[in-house]
This record gives sequence, C-alpha cells and structure tokens, in this order.
Amino acid sequence: MYYLSRRDLLRWGIASGGAAALAGALRNSRGDSLPSSPPTTPFVLELLPGRGIPPVKQTVAPFPTLRDTGDTVNPDGTKPFHVSGPRTVPKNTAFYKIHTREVAHTFHPQLPPNQLWGYDGSIPGPTIVSRSGTPQLVRFFNDLPQNDPVGIGEPINAIHRHGGFQAPEDDGYPLDTFSSGQSRDYFYPNRPDEGLQQNEHSTLWYHDHSIDVTGPNVYRGLAGFYPNFNSLDTGNESDYPPALGLPSGEFDIGLVLQDRQFDKNGFLIFDSFDHNGFIGDKFLVNGLIQPYLQVARRKYRFRVLNGSNARIYELALSNGQDFAAIATDSHLLEHPVWVKRFRIGPAERVEVIVDFSHTSLKDEIFLVNRLRQTDGRKPDELVSLSQGTPLLKFKVNRDANDKSRVPNTLLPVTEGPLQLLPKVKVQRRFEFERSHGAWVINGEFFDENRINAKPKRGVPEIWILESGGGWVHPVHIHLSEFFILSRDGASPLPLEQGRKDTVLIGGDFGSVMILIKFAEFTGRYVFHCHNIEHEDMRMMGQFEVQP
Amino acid sequence: MSFIWVLALLLTLVTSRSSGPPRTSARASASERIRSAAAVPGPPDRVALIREEHLLNIKLTTHEGRVVRFYDDLVKGKTVAINFMFANCREGCSVATEHLLEAQRALSERMRRDVTFLSISLEPEQDTPDVLRGYARAHGTGPGWYFLTGKRNDIELLRRKLGAYDLDPVVDADPTQHSGIVILGNEPKGRWKAISALSKPVRIRQAIERTILPPNEWPSGAAVVAEAPYAENEAVEPVDLSRIPLLRSTEDGH
Repeated sequence: MYYLSRRDLLRWGIASGGAAALAGALRNSRGDSLPSSPPTTPFVLELLPGRGIPPVKQTVAPFPTLRDTGDTVNPDGTKPFHVSGPRTVPKNTAFYKIHTREVAHTFHPQLPPNQLWGYDGSIPGPTIVSRSGTPQLVRFFNDLPQNDPVGIGEPINAIHRHGGFQAPEDDGYPLDTFSSGQSRDYFYPNRPDEGLQQNEHSTLWYHDHSIDVTGPNVYRGLAGFYPNFNSLDTGNESDYPPALGLPSGEFDIGLVLQDRQFDKNGFLIFDSFDHNGFIGDKFLVNGLIQPYLQVARRKYRFRVLNGSNARIYELALSNGQDFAAIATDSHLLEHPVWVKRFRIGPAERVEVIVDFSHTSLKDEIFLVNRLRQTDGRKPDELVSLSQGTPLLKFKVNRDANDKSRVPNTLLPVTEGPLQLLPKVKVQRRFEFERSHGAWVINGEFFDENRINAKPKRGVPEIWILESGGGWVHPVHIHLSEFFILSRDGASPLPLEQGRKDTVLIGGDFGSVMILIKFAEFTGRYVFHCHNIEHEDMRMMGQFEVQP
Repeated sequence: MSFIWVLALLLTLVTSRSSGPPRTSARASASERIRSAAAVPGPPDRVALIREEHLLNIKLTTHEGRVVRFYDDLVKGKTVAINFMFANCREGCSVATEHLLEAQRALSERMRRDVTFLSISLEPEQDTPDVLRGYARAHGTGPGWYFLTGKRNDIELLRRKLGAYDLDPVVDADPTQHSGIVILGNEPKGRWKAISALSKPVRIRQAIERTILPPNEWPSGAAVVAEAPYAENEAVEPVDLSRIPLLRSTEDGH
C-alpha cells in the first residue's frame, strides 16, 4: 500500500499548474506539442449546490404534448416501428421543461468566464431524477443563439439519455435534430425492461448526440446526470430493509470527470481538425478545475461518470483507502467489489461508496488519476499514486449521522449468462478500425440507412467487439446493457462482471465477447465508439430490433 | 528588458490597487483582479485563430498552371472541400475523386457555386500541373475544382495542420492512407469538420450542405436518412460457446 508523503501533498496543494505538468505534453492535429493551459491553483473552488453540484430538475404542470415528429425512419419504408400521430402519454407522467442556453461559466477563478452551453444554463446540466413507475416527458428547448461567437460546436441538438430504455424516436438519433428556436419532446417510460428487477437502472446521463458535432457540443457543456431510483434503491438511506440503504441525499453525489484545454488567455480551445480524440490538460470535476468537497466522517455514494471526449482515467484515493464499487454503467452490481483503483473510459460510469468514518477531522484526501494520456489513441502509462494527477480534494470537516450501509447483495441477477446462453442463436463480429484516416466498423463508415444487425426482440445474441491498429475505443451500444463474457478469451475483470453499456476495447484492452438481448422496443438504434471525435467521424453502426 | 518593464508596471498596478482606499471593487473575484491588471483579453477570434493555426498560405500551382496561395486565393471567404490524393494512386484516391465528383454534381446549382473542391497532391514531384490536368480530364471534373501541386514540405505541413495524418509514423508514411478524408470548411463562419471521402456520395453531399447552411436550415430526420437506399450488411457467424470462461469453469466445476 502506498501512502503519499507530506512533500507530495504539498506539491499538490501549492503547485499551480501542476496538473498541466503531470498530464504530459499534449499533441494536437499538427502532431506536435500544444502550449499548456494557463496555470491554475488547485483546490480553491468548493463543490457546492448550484456550483458544481447541479440542481435537481423540478416538474412543471402537464402541458399538451406535441405530435411525434415522425423523424425516425421506418426500417422497411412502410411499417412504422414507433408511435406516430399525437403522442399520448400515461396519466401519471411527470412533465419537465429544459432550456438549452448560453451561460458564462467560470472553470476557475484564475480564468476568465467562458461562454458555454448548458441545459438550463447549468454546468453540468440539471440532474433529472427518475423513479421507476413514473414516466417522464421532457421538453427540451433549443435556446442557443444561431450566431455563436465562440465557434465551438453548432447550435443544434439531439438529446440522448445514455443507458436508457426508450423508443427509437426518444433515443436522440443523430439525425433527429432540432435547432435554435425549436423544441422536442422526449418520453422516458422509466420501467425496468421486461419488468425484471435486475433491469432497474441506477446512473444514466444525458448528452448531445447531433450528427457531425457531438464532440464539440458535449465539450461545450451539454451533459447532465439522469439517476434512477426504485423500490430497491430508494434514495433514502434509512428505509432498509427491504431497500438497500445506500448513502442518500446530500451524501449521494454525481462526479463527472472531464478534461479541457485553454489558450494563454484562459479561453476554451477545441481543435476541429483533430480526429484522434480531444485531450486537454485541465481536469474538471463537475465543470470546475480541480475543486474540493467538504465531507463528513461517514459514507458517501459517488456516481463517477467519465464525461470526457477521449480521455481514460484510473482512479485511486491518496490515503490508500478502498472504494466499494456498487455499480458499473447503468446498473448496480450483484455484490459490492472492493478495489484500490478502477479504470473508467469515456461514457462509462462507476459508482463507489467511500467511507470517511475512519478519517480525522481536517484530513485531506485526494481522488487521483493514475493514468497518463497525451493523445486520443490510448493511455500512455499507469503512473504511481504520487505521480498521478489529483482531481478532487476531500476535506473532512464534520461529523454526521450515517444510517447507510454497503449491503452484501445489491441487485441480484436472475437472468444472466447461464440462463441466456442456451438461447443464443446468432453471433456477430464487429471490428472497430482505423482506415484511410477515418474510422470504420467492419470496413464501413456509418451510413444513416445501412443496418449492420437485425436482432430479434427478446432473443439474446453474442457480439464480438474487436479493435485493430493499437487504438482504444470505448464502444457504446444503445438501448440495452450487456454482459461481458470474456476479454481476450479470459474471464472479465471483477468490475466487468456486471452489466455494461459501454466497454473499452483495443490496445491493451484487447477484444471482448458480449451477451446482449434487446427486449420490448423495436426499431432502429445506433452503436458507436464513444471517443466522440471517432463517433463524429462516423465510427457508428446501426441495428434494427425486429418484432 | 521590456519584460522587466511590464513586470514593474504590473506590480505598480497591483500594489497601488491594494494600498488605495477601499472601493467596491476591493471584493472583486480573483479572476476580475487578474484580468484588470493587464489589458483584458477577450475570447479569441476563432476564424482568425483557425487561419493562423491551420490554413497555411502556402504557394501552390493549379492543374491549369496558375500559381496561387492556399489561403488567400483558395480558402478565404469560401466553403471548401479539401482532400489529399495523387494521380498515380491505385487504391482509395480514385474512389474518393469519384465520390466527391458525384457529391458535387448532386448539390443544388446554388450550393455547387458556393463550394470549392481542392484536391492536393501528396506526390507533388510526379504530379505536375500537366499530370493533374490529365487526371482532372480523365475524371471529368469541371469548374469549381482545383487539383493542386507544390513543394512537398509545404504540402506535408498543410496536411498535418488539416488533420490528415496518422499518429503511427509507419501508417503516416504511406500516402494512400491520407486519401480517405475530405475536410469540409466554411471559412467565414469558422465551421470545420471532416467526413470520410469513401462514404457514400449522398452522405458527403449532405455533410457539405451542413457545412454551407446555418444549423437551423440543416435538413434532419427521415428525409436525410432515406436519401440513400435502405441497405443491410449483417455480420453473422456461427455461434461458438467454446471460448467462454464462465461455461468452461462451470463444466470444470461439475
């Protein structure tokens, strides 16, 4: 076990611009080094409600729903797979309105405000909390200016609720865009697929998914949390049993990790000519550069989301303490997994419980990234804890009651590989590759009207995901989570034994064999690389679930 | 010397501020103080930034033998579709040229006038203006399309600045690997993106339209999708359960 020396802590505490130095020199589309972002003193901004901890979105009175825009395409040209005509929603639907607009955002007091785009002007977007059994209809208004002076991204939106079970027309298909002055309704049924408890969701997130410009639009700020509560994971730590009693309320915090690059005057840089995957030298937690969080001596639930365009992280705590990992991507695990460190690729989520009850008041504990990465191809190396980059400082400042617990069993899997494998009739292979300066799946670029797979609803399939040429790709499949059956022929890692909706392949990650079943919804969905620059360069395929 | 002067000036500004009478600005945030100490820089002019960083003003010669500057004469104020190729390229270049040609022809007349196609040779020694003129004629390209040659070093630098390169030096040394993308830019709007030149021509045309048009005029939804015929390319293979560790260990266990 490695503990940090006082010198290391001092270095982190006072070294302004330390993060930039530790991140290594970055390369841009010239293939040469980028100038570092201006120095910033770490841990001067506190994560507080309304600054870094986004507001929880509140419902509005029901409003008349719009006609389905009919944008999503009927696969065979005749038979619509989705609702058309006036949309009727169940009586118990909760209604929301979100306005996507410009906001002057301060990443750090030593940098000038930057004009970002935020859902409701919030960075990250407001947290939309769902409860199983209560459907939601969210009307997203695009209030972005048509003429944007900054020039990062385009004022056009498609909203994807990442990890969600939702109909094709509500999935944020990249061509189902709406522009400035327009709105679009998204209906989220919020019930576990097939009514199975094992399919209850935990941490989803929502972000832009527009054709051509998803990368810069997300970089500009268009992302937010979308957690789900249900009869097991109630969001109230004191009502167990039968609920789980996971830390709740102010002790349940989403942490989105992102990297950004700034010019010498502190204004955001995005390189539209770089298709390798954008890497920045400033580390953000919930939109703030290296903030701190005051914590009580008790257990916390942290929903860690990698919201970076291309960077992969490996996270550890500076005092050598374990994380109790309780969820990966959209679902709770069957059992908690205690780890000293964990890796998290773009769009992946790992939920952990960190117990500060053994710390002392005034202790300072750092969340450290131990993975060095200087371009979008793959991480460079795993560095020691003391050589890592501290992303967030926990300042232990008080005591607090703690009724929460880390139960031995979280979300039992009743329909897992052993039950599903005998029903598999189809195996597919998808090779994610670089070809002629762009990105292909099975040798082909995304075409909006080409289908790469026609799985039958309810019938499980094996998909093999491979990558060539030493590039790492975080592959995301819409609509359904999957089990990882093997990684390079071996058993998946402990944190990959639960359900996933995004998986790292390529480079040292090798290839994976996954088990996936699409239930209930039929129609057209995409799967793609979630290195967003690769995605924008058409590393995307489509499947069409057949009734 | 001048650096010391600036430093002294800054120090004077900061000290005079802090020793002065309390003002409302005394509680200004750190960022405000830092920014007011120097001349307040605004956000960068992105169009100028892209011009400086990416759009080198290198000297090129068109297939018609005209000597031009890349930025001044070919890109400034225009919407462009740029690709790299060479006349003797057997692999992707011809397909790319064919696709771009089809995309160009499918644009509306107005949009066709709005977009300039620039095909820059990666083998400039072989690709003299004569050779490129022959290539243009063989492919039947018309007005609004320039095949360009120049100094190899200039072109190599431009290629990297425009993102048509590979991080792997072995792949990067193979010119056929750089024929695959077309870089689309609306220079006055600072709107730049890229798409594979090997994509279907209709997709290239749509991406060009999205480069020319403001986002509120982008065609969206089914209208865009269905412009190419519905196609299936399923990758199905026999099910092989023999390599699943979970099943192996279950068998071993019993």
